[in-house]
Amino acid sequence: MRAAALAAFAVPFAAVAQVTPEAIAKSPNADWLTYNGDYAARRHSPLTQITAANVNSLVAKWVFKVEGARKLEASPIVHDGLMYITNTNEIYALDARFGRQVWRYRAEGARGARVNRGAAILGDRVYFVTSDCHLIALHRKTGNLAFDVEYASFDRGYTTSIAPLAVRNLILVGVAGGGSGQRGFVAAIDGQTGKEAWRFWTVPAKGEPGWETWGGFPAEMGGAPTWTTGSYDAELDLVYWPTGNPWPDFYGGRRPGDNLYSDSVVALDARTGKLKWHFQFTPHDVWDWDANENPVLLDAVFRGKPRKLLVQANRNGFYYILDRVTGEFLHAKPFVRKLDWTSGLDDKGRPKVIPEKIPTPAGTRVCPSVRGAANWMSPSYDPATGLFYVVTLEQCDIIVASAKEPVPASGFRGTGNEGIPTEPGRFYLRALDVLSGDIRWEYPMPGPGIMWAGTVSTAGGVVFSGDDDGNLVALDARTGQDLWHFPTGHNLFASPVTYMAGGRQYVTILTESNVFTFGLFEPR
Amino acid sequence: MRLTIVAAALSGSALLAQRVPADPAAIEAGRQIYMGSCSGCHGATGEGSQGPSLLSGRASRLPDCALFNSIKNGLPGTSMPDFPLPDEKVWQIAAFVRSLTAPAASVPVPGDPVRGRSLFFGESGCSRCHMILGQGGFPGPDLSNIGAERTLHQLRESILKPSERISEGYRAAVATRKTGESVQGVAKSFNNYSIQIIDRAGEVHLLDRGDLSGVEIKAESLMPPLKNPEHATDLIAFLARQSARPSQGAAR
Repeated sequence: MRAAALAAFAVPFAAVAQVTPEAIAKSPNADWLTYNGDYAARRHSPLTQITAANVNSLVAKWVFKVEGARKLEASPIVHDGLMYITNTNEIYALDARFGRQVWRYRAEGARGARVNRGAAILGDRVYFVTSDCHLIALHRKTGNLAFDVEYASFDRGYTTSIAPLAVRNLILVGVAGGGSGQRGFVAAIDGQTGKEAWRFWTVPAKGEPGWETWGGFPAEMGGAPTWTTGSYDAELDLVYWPTGNPWPDFYGGRRPGDNLYSDSVVALDARTGKLKWHFQFTPHDVWDWDANENPVLLDAVFRGKPRKLLVQANRNGFYYILDRVTGEFLHAKPFVRKLDWTSGLDDKGRPKVIPEKIPTPAGTRVCPSVRGAANWMSPSYDPATGLFYVVTLEQCDIIVASAKEPVPASGFRGTGNEGIPTEPGRFYLRALDVLSGDIRWEYPMPGPGIMWAGTVSTAGGVVFSGDDDGNLVALDARTGQDLWHFPTGHNLFASPVTYMAGGRQYVTILTESNVFTFGLFEPR
Repeated sequence: MRLTIVAAALSGSALLAQRVPADPAAIEAGRQIYMGSCSGCHGATGEGSQGPSLLSGRASRLPDCALFNSIKNGLPGTSMPDFPLPDEKVWQIAAFVRSLTAPAASVPVPGDPVRGRSLFFGESGCSRCHMILGQGGFPGPDLSNIGAERTLHQLRESILKPSERISEGYRAAVATRKTGESVQGVAKSFNNYSIQIIDRAGEVHLLDRGDLSGVEIKAESLMPPLKNPEHATDLIAFLARQSARPSQGAAR
């Protein structure tokens, strides 16, 4: 095992300034240092060069084509003038001002061809994962390899597309598997040595607390994957990781019970990976409503009391507010009109499921659709407006269930879903009051219903988002008024970021195969 | 007649199903036959002389079955004769030919990798500019995975004739600022508007051409030829084993 041999030689690269956890905690500023910009997943930038008043003079500054890319989904990391973007099994460092390639690392021999959602940065290194679940560490200025370690077995069906999260000295990673029957986990890998520090399994083993919620279904097939990046509260030293659906997706007859910790957010001790608390949004899910949407952290006075909150717009159609110290459920409210699977939630946040909405072999009409009322498209939160900006989908599906014997990694999901041709889905960017979930404004996004783009908000009073027609749009953060747009000519599956380089503010979004970067027009 | 066709079809499909063996014994057996029968025209390392190079062009892209047929039956209309050897021996030759274009990490390599390692980090001076898993220097190409990325032939060429083919992003460059000071290193990218240089300290310089008075891109590689060519075999043996994924596919 090379990782073990490697540990003996683990020395920092020659004198290069370190990106410290403290610096990451201050992001975003000129830099954008985590997948969502900060540890709290707010995707809100303090930059003010681009404002609601001048955004209409935004122009394209550079476009970088990623050779061979078909569906870029990454959110860039930007540090010290370099931008890191990922594609399937490869990472690029670009000059953030000019869009020129500084280096590229391709993981030769990596198996699988998953999309990739981005990199992490810590110390003198950048990190990314390959489709076959290797974590790769590279010198951030030159792309020189520090280590390549496997953290899950591709041969056992594991794959991944996650942007890792750097917490303390650790690089946190997760896996896919909700649709193919692998057991989910979050792993923390020492960023210096490549050794695994801890692992939290999202499906308890036989005899562990929570195992009784599966009716004897094998934990190895349980799913509850960890395919999106979590959040972190440095003060509480807790990591908040969202989990996906139990497997098989649409048939629950072999896994009677709540199926912990699927469709949940788990709060883990950052040093040990031990579970502090969990909250399950959709117990015993049979609709494929992963809870992998970003858990957004904020502090506010809630019902007269200052509280540390965690909010999430969940795929099941409800906007949730939890206490992130204890996991206590505080409030929830639907953020889509098309929601018919429950008559409401009880005072613990547990949904009252309408029995007719359980999928059957004949097919059951359910709203929201399998894609969800929200999904992994990143939302943002602007403390100045008190608004939570989230891309939502109004859609219903016919879901068909099958009691067939499940075989992992066979493509079987307990059967599947069909769209309803007479009711095409429609995306809306909605601004929710962060403390009530009330919709303050909405921006319809007509299109083919295939986008996965998210948002970034700025102290300049602008919300940037991709739309369902391939436009990067700029909206007034307070009113939702359309201020500017740029048609990229591609569909959008990534969330924009904003940063400074050479004293100027830029906005970047990845399209199918290109990196588009915009800045204010400057007369010569 | 019909029987013959069936038999031919069967033998054809059996042939189609067979693949060039990749085991070291087959490659070595093939090398020995190649040295006696093929190297006269194709060169000792497949570089080509009277016959075409086997390292690039058509020969390197042939499917397994076509490679086998070219050796066994020759290529009518060319000077490639037939070699009516037993099928097993033809597959061995094919295995050796394939190894010429396979990643160096996947083929048998002569030389002493342990001595190669001490030369790399010592007398030969390679690690002053190259790095392997964080050990060594800048700004030469990182060699942590070089055995998986390059063929044996390419490794040999790079070591013995470094200026013959300089990898994109490793051209020596000097950029002079209007203030007079200069930046030296390798040009990762450059055009009329900007240049990105990595220097010997591993520092990145992202430069606006508007701030520069001049840029010089050199034709020669920063890498000097090997002082002692006798070291090449052992160095190559060491470098050929540098692969980021030696245990590819191993289960946890």
